[in-house]
Amino acid sequence: MERTEVTDKLTTIFRTTFSNDSLILKDEMTANDVDRWDSLSHMILIAEIEKTFSIKFKLKDLNRMQNVGAMIDIIITKL
Amino acid sequence: MQFTSFNFLIFFPSVILLYYILPQKFRWSFVLIISYYFYININPIYAFLLVGVTTSTYLFAILMEKTKSDKTRKWLLIADIILTLLPLFFFKYYNFVNQSVFDLLDYFGIRWPLPNLSLLLPIGISFYTFMALGYSIDVYNETIRAEKNFGIVALFTSFFPIVLSGPIERARNMFNQFRGKLTFNYDKAVSGLQLMLWGYFMKLVIADRVAIYVSTIFNNYEYHSGVSLLFATLLYPFQIYGDLGGYSLIAIGCANVMGIDIIPNFNRPFFATSMSEFWRRWHMSLIKWLTDYLYTPISFGLRRLNVWGIVIALLLTFLISGAWHGAALIYMIWGTFQGILLSIEALTNRRKVEFEKKYKLRSKSLYIIFSSVLTYALFAFSLLIAGAVESVSAAFAVIGKIFTNTQPLFINKTTLFYMLIGVGLLILSELRDEFFPEKFKLFQSKNIYIRWAAYMSVLFLILLIGVFNGGQFIYFKF
Repeated sequence: MERTEVTDKLTTIFRTTFSNDSLILKDEMTANDVDRWDSLSHMILIAEIEKTFSIKFKLKDLNRMQNVGAMIDIIITKL
Repeated sequence: MQFTSFNFLIFFPSVILLYYILPQKFRWSFVLIISYYFYININPIYAFLLVGVTTSTYLFAILMEKTKSDKTRKWLLIADIILTLLPLFFFKYYNFVNQSVFDLLDYFGIRWPLPNLSLLLPIGISFYTFMALGYSIDVYNETIRAEKNFGIVALFTSFFPIVLSGPIERARNMFNQFRGKLTFNYDKAVSGLQLMLWGYFMKLVIADRVAIYVSTIFNNYEYHSGVSLLFATLLYPFQIYGDLGGYSLIAIGCANVMGIDIIPNFNRPFFATSMSEFWRRWHMSLIKWLTDYLYTPISFGLRRLNVWGIVIALLLTFLISGAWHGAALIYMIWGTFQGILLSIEALTNRRKVEFEKKYKLRSKSLYIIFSSVLTYALFAFSLLIAGAVESVSAAFAVIGKIFTNTQPLFINKTTLFYMLIGVGLLILSELRDEFFPEKFKLFQSKNIYIRWAAYMSVLFLILLIGVFNGGQFIYFKF
């Protein structure tokens, strides 16, 4: 799967999770840039990503997700 | 030696002087010696415990890094966690567990008494234990390399500004600073001194003054009116904030003067508009620690349960947070209560956001004020069961009286007047930082007269209305 395709799918997940239809993902984006992206919603986001991409993260992967770009990179390595 | 003791007023400037006289490469070793001197000064015997926790943490971290097998690494981490927690459990929870087991067995008619121990809790043990654990877990997760220099690890766990009551620092923040160039930074040193000054104000003028009124009411709650109890309940968060917030600022300030950065512990908590926001602003270093090392692994393990996994993780995390605060039922109830509040917020969050969007509530000041007041009141009432009064039954008696007894407010004019000055100035300062962060910065004014007038006014208030026999910091008992 291409990076752009992953980003598109991820954008849909983000928009649904954070109830924001105009959200546009950028690589350098962090939880501070997205309203309601906190430690509570983060795990719902993670579960949703795993379901959509049919992948399984490890706890270590979570620690490496410093921003959206890193998250996309990790997803790609799992596909 | 306490930050508010006369000894510290001599100790700290002398340390700073020697620190900067010494060649740069010896500075961290000097701070290590001084940190142990500072700790031994409080209780020499318990320094052995600190050395023990440091040594096991140091050795296990190196072993974990050298081990290739994931399974062995996991067992090493488990062994390390058990060893590190052992002193904390022994000193903090032995009597509680012993009594609970005795009561349980007694219920079934079995009497098997073990002696209760009257040991003093080693000061700072809850804080340095968590710091050591955080380092070990980071090495296990490969987010930090194991430190080869024992002295650096020893300095991390004993660093005198934070060893007694935090902020609960992270190895990755501290190791690089200790290993790096500890040079004099004028701006950082000045900012550190400003933080210390405001920290002393928060402790001596606010916390210890509010404590006089609050303890007068709560220690004799049977004889005070509902209005007085309500007033004391609503004041108590200011006492705790002034105490731990003030301590944290002094600690951060001390480190800054030595050119070392420490993570913040508070971010104007009383402006929070929900409990989840409150816990992102209050005792942040503890909450971040609990989030990273407890909540995240638990909720990750339960993520298939969606929002219910989060609820279970929240309840467990706050139950443990309660237990961290003390080995007593009141802390467990307090932790569970906070977990329930956060779970309700997590479960209703989506609907709440949609409701706020529909009526554009986030832009309405009245709604923001109402949300902040409600959050503050919930926290204030939760503190009733977490230390404000001596037992759960007393807490319920206080709450009952608040709603039924309408006798007039107990007034101690001097205490109330001095308290009003302290709390009033704190509120003004927090309002400025929250809403006008770049304006009215008196400590940072470019005008030297304004700056020094501000320093002198705060110092003058500390000397004039500060309470100098207010006792130790509340969080020392944790």
